[in-house]
Amino acid sequence: MAPQVFPLSQTPITAHSFNADRSQVAVSFNSHEAQIFSWSGSQWTLNATLTEHDKPITSIDWAPASNRIVTASQDRNAYVWQETQDPETGSLIWKPTLVLLRINRAATHVRWSPKEDKFAVASGARAIAVCSFDPENNWWVSKLLKKPIRSTVLCVDWHPNNVLLAAGTADMKARVFSAYIKEVDAKPAPSVWGSKLPFNTLCGEYTSPAGGWVHAVAFSPSGDVLAFASHDSSMTIVYPGGTMYNIKMTSLPLVTLTWTSEQSIVAAGHDCQPYVAPKSASARPGVPGKLNKSAAFATFQSADSRGQSSIAASSDTKLLTIHQNTITSVRPYEEQGGVVTKVTTSGADGRLIIWDTNDVSALATKLATLSV
Amino acid sequence: MSGAFRKIDIDIYDEDVLHEEELYTADPRDPAEVVAAAKQKQGTVRSALSRSDIPGALSIALDSVPYGPNVDDAKLITLQVLLTIMNSTKSTDIPNVLKALSPEEQDTLMKYLYKGMATSGNDVSGSVLLDWHEKLTEVAGLGCIVRTMTDRRTV
Repeated sequence: MAPQVFPLSQTPITAHSFNADRSQVAVSFNSHEAQIFSWSGSQWTLNATLTEHDKPITSIDWAPASNRIVTASQDRNAYVWQETQDPETGSLIWKPTLVLLRINRAATHVRWSPKEDKFAVASGARAIAVCSFDPENNWWVSKLLKKPIRSTVLCVDWHPNNVLLAAGTADMKARVFSAYIKEVDAKPAPSVWGSKLPFNTLCGEYTSPAGGWVHAVAFSPSGDVLAFASHDSSMTIVYPGGTMYNIKMTSLPLVTLTWTSEQSIVAAGHDCQPYVAPKSASARPGVPGKLNKSAAFATFQSADSRGQSSIAASSDTKLLTIHQNTITSVRPYEEQGGVVTKVTTSGADGRLIIWDTNDVSALATKLATLSV
Repeated sequence: MSGAFRKIDIDIYDEDVLHEEELYTADPRDPAEVVAAAKQKQGTVRSALSRSDIPGALSIALDSVPYGPNVDDAKLITLQVLLTIMNSTKSTDIPNVLKALSPEEQDTLMKYLYKGMATSGNDVSGSVLLDWHEKLTEVAGLGCIVRTMTDRRTV
């Protein structure tokens, strides 16, 4: 199935997040406002604008079950938005609740936990604020994960058990912490990452051989494997207590990734196209393929539709990939039988694209896997 | 009015400042050991080149290169060794030689190409380096160049 392209604006999309039934999407166009678009059957129309932040919003996450949106911004704050009925007009509006993160630098990334009772905010204050709701005082309280983070935290991802949190930082490391909050969590079952896990326990610290800021980090659906993409154009897959595989890419660095199944990852970044990294039978990562029409096909298509010869197309400033600029975020969109069959990407070109994950074309270049 | 306070390096008084050394795993070898290894490499490569074994010479040269602080002499020796190999290779042989290298060796070679380009000297031939750079990028892609820029283990 061909990718569905939605050009939402001319400005970059810094973050996007769909609601549970994919009928609405919250996006931020590199500004201090977040916009909610609704699917009207044929296109995305603007439904609501969330204005509370003073500085650009860096990250948005929409909790599917509780239907709450959390936005994090460079203004060192996060807001939790809830859909309530406006007493005057009777229509549904989004009401914000300020969360005091107690950080003195920008918030860079935010994610709801699987049970949606906590969320983690990565920040430039070399800390992660794990926020939970205190029903007594009716507000969100934050606990900071600090040691041994040495630089800006760029991304976070929750483990399915709602307690473990993976974080990628600008000090070239990907770490797994325990974000166990006594008041909210039940004691987690022992996993490959450890058994006794009080708050701020470091369960693992990993780095790619050539280093590089860790732009994206994600647990596999089971939580037993960790993958991270770093600025040295590589993707690393970690089996705790076992081996660590480092895939060196020939492309520009990847900045976002998501697991589509226990055996496959979709990642994207500065190369403007998504890559699919499958796991081969022997648990070693296989050769990544591109999730896109091949470049040759795109040239042929433009020659056909616009009557341009390939010589003229080569002087065109349009990229051969569908996204015309860096892909900033890749998210799972549709699942079938536990496997993500569709993913969405948003890019700095203002486009939102829905991809079919089975539409992979093999990458011709030789790629390597390194066992560390 | 004294402006001496403006010249104080306040970072040395900050306990929490991030040091360059914390960003990569340091070379466990002793600096003297590193220099000795580099000199030995010089000899082995020379004999490989006399047998016209370019791939062998490159593999020896690119193995366990010196990086980090305190090993500048070893770094220069290794650079000289690599420049000698590159100058002795025929332009048409370069692609095959490059394809035979492992990805780690390709990344290391790219680091030395840039180091060579940064060095000024009569024995450093710009056209040779650029020729190698072009062919290496065709094989290893932009990712190799990005790794050269990102890797803190500077040669």
